[in-house]
Amino acid sequence: MNTLIPTPDAIPAAWGWFQVLLMLVFPLHLVLMNAMLGSTAIAAYAVLRKDETLRGLAWELGKVIPFLIAFAVNLGVAALLFLQVLYGHLFYTSSVLMGVFWLSVVPLLIIAYYSTYLFDFRFPTLARPVAAVLICLPLLIFLAIAFVYSNNLTLMLNPDVWKAYFGNPGGTLLNLGDRVLPARYLHFIVGGTAVGGLFVAVLGRVRKGMDQGVREAAERVGMRVFTVLTGVQIAVGFLFLAALPRPVLLLFMGGDMIATLLLAIGLVTALILLMAGMARRVWLCAGLALPLIYVMSFMRDFVRDGYLKPHFSPESLQVVPQYSPMVMFIVVLAAGLAAVVWMLRKASSALRTTRK
Amino acid sequence: MNYPVWYLPFVGGGTLIALISIVHVFISHFAVGGGLYLVLAERKGLRENNRALLEFTRKHAKFFLLMTMVMGGITGVGIWFIISLVNPAATSVLIHNFVFGWATEWVFFVVEIVAIFVYYYCFGRMDPRTHQAVGWIYFIAAWLSLFIINGIVGFMLTPGGWLGDGNFWSGFFNPSFWPALFFRTFVSLMLAGVYAFVTTSFLKDTELKSVMTRYSARWVLLSLLAAAPAGYWYLSVLPNQARALVEGASPTIMRALHYGILGIVVLVAGTLVLLLLKPSCHTRTVSFLVLAGAFLFMGAFEWTREASRRPYVINEYMYSNAVLKKDRGELEREGFLHGARWVSTRAAGESNLLEAGRELFRNQCHACHTVGGINNDIIARTANMEYPALLGYLGRIHEVRYFMPPFMGNEAEKEALAYYIVKGLHGKDFKVSPEGTAAAGSKGKELFTGHCIICHPESLIKERTARWDRRRIRKGLDKLSALNPAMPDYDGTPEEKELMADYIHSLKTGAGESHDKGKEAFDKHCAMCHSLGQGVNPLLPRMSGWDRERIRKSLDMLDRLKGGMPPLQAPNEEKEALAAFLSRSLQGGVR
Ligand code: HEC
Repeated sequence: MNTLIPTPDAIPAAWGWFQVLLMLVFPLHLVLMNAMLGSTAIAAYAVLRKDETLRGLAWELGKVIPFLIAFAVNLGVAALLFLQVLYGHLFYTSSVLMGVFWLSVVPLLIIAYYSTYLFDFRFPTLARPVAAVLICLPLLIFLAIAFVYSNNLTLMLNPDVWKAYFGNPGGTLLNLGDRVLPARYLHFIVGGTAVGGLFVAVLGRVRKGMDQGVREAAERVGMRVFTVLTGVQIAVGFLFLAALPRPVLLLFMGGDMIATLLLAIGLVTALILLMAGMARRVWLCAGLALPLIYVMSFMRDFVRDGYLKPHFSPESLQVVPQYSPMVMFIVVLAAGLAAVVWMLRKASSALRTTRK
Repeated sequence: MNYPVWYLPFVGGGTLIALISIVHVFISHFAVGGGLYLVLAERKGLRENNRALLEFTRKHAKFFLLMTMVMGGITGVGIWFIISLVNPAATSVLIHNFVFGWATEWVFFVVEIVAIFVYYYCFGRMDPRTHQAVGWIYFIAAWLSLFIINGIVGFMLTPGGWLGDGNFWSGFFNPSFWPALFFRTFVSLMLAGVYAFVTTSFLKDTELKSVMTRYSARWVLLSLLAAAPAGYWYLSVLPNQARALVEGASPTIMRALHYGILGIVVLVAGTLVLLLLKPSCHTRTVSFLVLAGAFLFMGAFEWTREASRRPYVINEYMYSNAVLKKDRGELEREGFLHGARWVSTRAAGESNLLEAGRELFRNQCHACHTVGGINNDIIARTANMEYPALLGYLGRIHEVRYFMPPFMGNEAEKEALAYYIVKGLHGKDFKVSPEGTAAAGSKGKELFTGHCIICHPESLIKERTARWDRRRIRKGLDKLSALNPAMPDYDGTPEEKELMADYIHSLKTGAGESHDKGKEAFDKHCAMCHSLGQGVNPLLPRMSGWDRERIRKSLDMLDRLKGGMPPLQAPNEEKEALAAFLSRSLQGGVR
């Protein structure tokens, strides 16, 4: 037993509830984060190419990116909340060990966010180099933030390296010694950008108000990014799998039936996606990618549990039940979603009837 | 002790928390009140059929969106990040006890985001009734977020019944819930007006500018009026200890309150100017000045709220350094290091005094003290203390200064901590005598060293009591807090007070001190703010290379030197002696 692992606090409902909530919101966060990353990357590419249609595409994406950031952050908050309920004692510890980097996410995100708003609101008057800076900066920041997250979420799984704290209590550690880290990071970045490409293609399909040429460009570039990167992603996925510690790897090789099944489903879906991508079947791809993200999230959960097996499992958390606050949450959630749906419907009809 | 301590000797975690949360609070309250401002300004425009006013509202909504969504939203995440870095144990308590409170708040956050986007992007493109309804939805969701957060934040200051039953609702509807909710609501409405000054200052249409400036000024003044009784109510429900801190027992809070009062004055004065004078006086500078006033006010409020909770992070439950109140006895018996997780040594002994002391400092004091840093530097705070005085003080810090947690550890650990501070941080050489605490000299001197030297040097007391007779000194010792609210009462026995009074009285006659006129003058006039070579605000380094002549001259014109020093009022011989003393010290003489 590792003596550095803090004693966790009791939870107010059976752990399964939090697991369900976590697995509900986390994949949604991934979808938005992917859309945000991919749109930013494609917008950057579109600005850097000297092409009028692509310039139009860059602006259209620029209008969407701030929304994506808002909801990616929002869903990230929910995911982080439920993560902390189940794994807080591990997560806080790894966060402290890399405190400087972890905290830097906040100012970085503010810079990226404002930068995309400037890009959006000022686009028509921006000189190309300025526009390029305003969109490449957020792209780099997103990649950096992803790296920080990959570090933290792997460091929290490795209590055995925590003793490095005694040589460096200033919060500037990372988890660079972990050989899984590069593959894991790549897996998220490549996959994320691929899904982001698909998002851009879908955008081209659904935003009927956009210029016809821009819509076509969105679909063309988006699907190319999606297809190529999905191919790369399958390779990276194998690398990642192979880099996992043996006990974790074995879970997917028959050690655990569900994990193995998930891997098989994931692999087959990815291959279908690759072919559908080549055939430019946008809606088919979108319809398959969403469930695939859920499958991948569940696999990720197996990886986490595999790592933590010697140290901790959420079943061991003490439960001091208090269900009335949960009822409040569910009631408010239902009412809130109703309000959201109502507002979105009103907005879409208003925007449709007053299209400029 | 359960979690690693993020060691930031220069800034300290507390400063980072303060920075992020003050900015966040300043924007997030605007995010509530500003929502109502938008709907009502829009309604005014609709009723008066005033297109310019509607256009102003739309622009204001854009500013609002950029401010609250980006800065407000991300600094909100930032607070969460920083508290979990600086005090993970307390964050864990908040998350685990209130997870569904946070989750509910998150739902409101979703509704807010959707509503403000729809409100802004559909401005003028939606039928007005629906648009107004969306605005109302925004405001209600934002206020309900405040409602939830207010319960959880208030819980930390006044956990109320939760301490007994651990129940969500007892903690949530805690004793300060309602007053704080009213207070924050009014403050948020006030901020709505203050921020609107900024947007109105950009208006070109002078007619509209004047109308909207006055409209906004009314928001500010009326809300402030309403906030005053709410604030008073809030104060009245604070626990006695917290109220005592707010009313003078805590030097840091006093400083914050001074800034707060300055902020209010600027805020009210600026608002009145805008309300009463021609709109042409309403420049961007004025509006930013008012904004700055409001910022100071909010900053002082936040700081005070946080600091009045000291020494606890969750009142009566967990100290700021994450140690649980209930563990005190056990830690004193068994020792702290022995049961702590994130320490490099398990016990304090002869061989590891420095290491053990360092670990104790990081785990128990670093939560509020930096090391040579910018906020509450332990090196400056202990500059006057010798080992025995500090050791004695450590045994009583919570009793003497309520806002500090008690030292929690066994005797050996206490010695290690004192050793670390005196030897490790100040580099002073001394011998730890086996008896440890015995200070040299008379019993009265010993008592004096143990209780008073901590905050003021002997010379200061001597100077202050110069015209007092012994009876007055003895009486003063009965109620020190009446002399200065920041001074804790002396809890000695009557005999001890007599001895101490004798000693202080003897200072006057010179029996207690060595006789160097120049040193005496230094202690009397300079030592409150300066040390000589090392410690707080050292004097010698600033005078390096000065000869006696130059020193003597400067003593005649202190008020014209940098740093806002008062003129030195002393007879000529005293200045001569002081100059001689400083010059000698400069040449490496008496230190
Ligand atoms: C809850 C926060 C907090 C903690 C924890 C804390 N202190 Fe303090 N300490 C303060 C404050 C606030 C002051 C007064 C600052 C001022 O005067 O402006 C102070 C002042 C001091 C002083 C100066 C003397 C005085 O009474 O003003 C000493 C010495 C000191 N602290 C030592 C310690 C030591 C040693 C520890 C660890 C065992 C510790 N403190 C832990 C908040 C704290």
